[in-house]
Amino acid sequence: MSTQLKCKESLEETEGNIDAAQQTAQGRVITVAVAGNPNSGKSTLINAIAGTRLHVGNWAGVTVEKKEAQLEYAGRKIRLVDLPGTYSLSPYTQEEIVARDYLVNERPDLIVNVVDATNLERNLYLTVQLLELGIPVVMALNIYDEAQAKGYEIDVEGIEKMLGVAVVPTSATKKTGLDELFKSVLAAADDLAGHMPRKLIYGEDIEAAAEQVADELRHRNLPLSGRYPQRWLLLKLMEEDSHVLEQMKLDRLDFLYQALHHLKKAHGDDMESIMADARYSLASGLTREVLQKPELRQMELTEKIDRIVLNRFLGIPIFLGAMWLLFKLTFDLSAPFGGWIGAMTEGPFKRWASALLLPLGAPDWTVSLVNDGVIAGVGSVLVFVPVIFAMMFFITFLEGSGYMARAAFVMDRTMHSIGLHGKSFIPMLLGFGCNVPGIYATRTLENPKDKVLTALLVPLMSCGARLPVYVVFVSAFFPNNSSTVIWSLYVMGILLAVLMGLLFKRTLFRGEAPMFIMELPPYRMPSFSSLCVHTWEKGKHFLFKAGTYIFAVSILVWFLLNLPWGVQHKRDSYLGQAGAVVAPVFQPLGFGNWEAASSLISGVIAKEIVVGTMGEIYAPQKDEKGEVPTLKEDLKEIAVSFGAACNKAVKTLFYLPVPEEKEKDRSSLRHALQGVFTPLSSYAFMVFVLLYMPCVVAIAAMRQEFGTWKWAVVGLVYQTMLAWSAALIIYQGGSFLGFGG
Amino acid sequence: MGIADIIIATVIVAGALYILYRTLWKKKGCCGCEGGSCCKK
Repeated sequence: MSTQLKCKESLEETEGNIDAAQQTAQGRVITVAVAGNPNSGKSTLINAIAGTRLHVGNWAGVTVEKKEAQLEYAGRKIRLVDLPGTYSLSPYTQEEIVARDYLVNERPDLIVNVVDATNLERNLYLTVQLLELGIPVVMALNIYDEAQAKGYEIDVEGIEKMLGVAVVPTSATKKTGLDELFKSVLAAADDLAGHMPRKLIYGEDIEAAAEQVADELRHRNLPLSGRYPQRWLLLKLMEEDSHVLEQMKLDRLDFLYQALHHLKKAHGDDMESIMADARYSLASGLTREVLQKPELRQMELTEKIDRIVLNRFLGIPIFLGAMWLLFKLTFDLSAPFGGWIGAMTEGPFKRWASALLLPLGAPDWTVSLVNDGVIAGVGSVLVFVPVIFAMMFFITFLEGSGYMARAAFVMDRTMHSIGLHGKSFIPMLLGFGCNVPGIYATRTLENPKDKVLTALLVPLMSCGARLPVYVVFVSAFFPNNSSTVIWSLYVMGILLAVLMGLLFKRTLFRGEAPMFIMELPPYRMPSFSSLCVHTWEKGKHFLFKAGTYIFAVSILVWFLLNLPWGVQHKRDSYLGQAGAVVAPVFQPLGFGNWEAASSLISGVIAKEIVVGTMGEIYAPQKDEKGEVPTLKEDLKEIAVSFGAACNKAVKTLFYLPVPEEKEKDRSSLRHALQGVFTPLSSYAFMVFVLLYMPCVVAIAAMRQEFGTWKWAVVGLVYQTMLAWSAALIIYQGGSFLGFGG
Repeated sequence: MGIADIIIATVIVAGALYILYRTLWKKKGCCGCEGGSCCKK
């Protein structure tokens, strides 16, 4: 039998902080840290338990920092702390540091260790390290249903006996085993001393050296011995953990070197590797004891799909195809609803606002402010809420299914071949939803240079806020190829990110690109409720923006368009004048008019404000006179047109013939744009919006993340220059080739 | 435009500027997600 089995036989009770353990009285809040490997389902488990909406994705590295949720179970208050997913507690990556610092310094009452039952051995490596902390552990053997479906037989009682922890099979997605998990948590909380994990023995020679070091520690009476769990401190010293050694502030560590010298010589390796081997041996031996896998009958589905999806030649075309399909589905499904909202804001909402304000004696200008300012501005953005939600739904689906991890893997080959860190593509993929979380996600990268470089590239990913701009322009100029045109913009963002990454890597951020190791989780069908919850979490940001700063900017833009007071033409307003000053800069790009320039200025706040401002600029000056529908007629029209939108969406989705509508173009904005832009200049404009300076929130995020304005300013300057150059090449090149008409 | 109009307009503009200050500067664009990662320092 192997070393680890001998170790198992000599398991002993660990010395833990039993005094502290006794303190968890009935009335106290029980602090439970939830720790586990990336993608083991920690966040899903907490969401299933506490009903919170932590971001969940079927790929590693979703939780960057610790997050908390409070709940009550059986009348007891429990505080769950979701730690970032880590493979170990070594102090290298940001996730590992956050998890380790919390566990060691904050000392939760107990740890729920979420273990992926389909990947037992790798997960147990972290478990072994958690047990070193001397904190009671309850193991949630998660994804147990999938393990059973694969024919795995796991000896749950065996794990309990060997490790001295309670083990509960769970399935966070199906919400099974959660009750049992909490019963175990409460049982452990009520008797912490009786639930201390067993001490794992790492082999005779290691333990002998450990004893020698422990004697020295006792002899020297070091101050940290009381602060940190003794066994953990001992093992960290043996590993020659730089953080712990630094904190010990020992002038002379001769005793440590003497104790370890023989061990290093015998194993022919450094202490970190020796300790890692010992832990792997334990995890491996334990797995062999408790897990029985069926004979491999045939290739698993995940493997079959991966053979195609990760194929060297097919990988990137499949990724691009998946993106195209995503846009196609998004627009087919959402366009009718966007039209419906547009019709409501341009018709009934404005009529109702007037009908409410005029009888109250409100001045005419306030009615105009509400109709041509707030409703035109906010309404122009709200029209695109269905598009944004549809796109977030499909992106969430791709994340949850496990495909996004493949996309990062596939792109890694390309990016790595030109000197970029492949893991950097993950924050970029997050940037498709919103650049701000993408920038924050750069903290998962280990190398500081890579963090900054990736944060500089994330804003080139086309976020959801740019979508309204694209949609309004493609529906005006490219109605038959809308999804293809928008897809081309997204691809352009990725390609330019790759090129800029290459440029930066060769200039500002020289250095070797580290190897990319990314876990490829099995494909899973995300549950519909989870898709809806996370789509809402991503999409609600746009509703929040519409209700706050887009609303505020709409009001300010209205004033700027109407001052000096009594101005006859919007061109002569303050905004018009400002736009006219800047407009010549855009002349070579094909949109040197004050309207476009003013919109781009206000769009610095948030990209969708470009559309909101245009909505106000091109708002019809006077209401059409004619028969005004009654409230009842308006409500009926809203209900009927909603039904028609649903019908049209379903038919378009299933490629059923949609009767050609003799629809008068209700969108005054679209109509107005057709008079000012050409297809070529509109494309150049979209490219400019894609690339020009990040929105203020993204700039603030960069400032916050890197603690200096330097990189935010670099991003702002380089992106605006890039946007101008790219739009110039497209417009002038297109004109030269005869597309300018 | 009378004095009353000017006062109303000033209040509205001040309100809009306050919303901008509050959402963009004070809350740094955070929409109050449960993780709170967008507003954490």
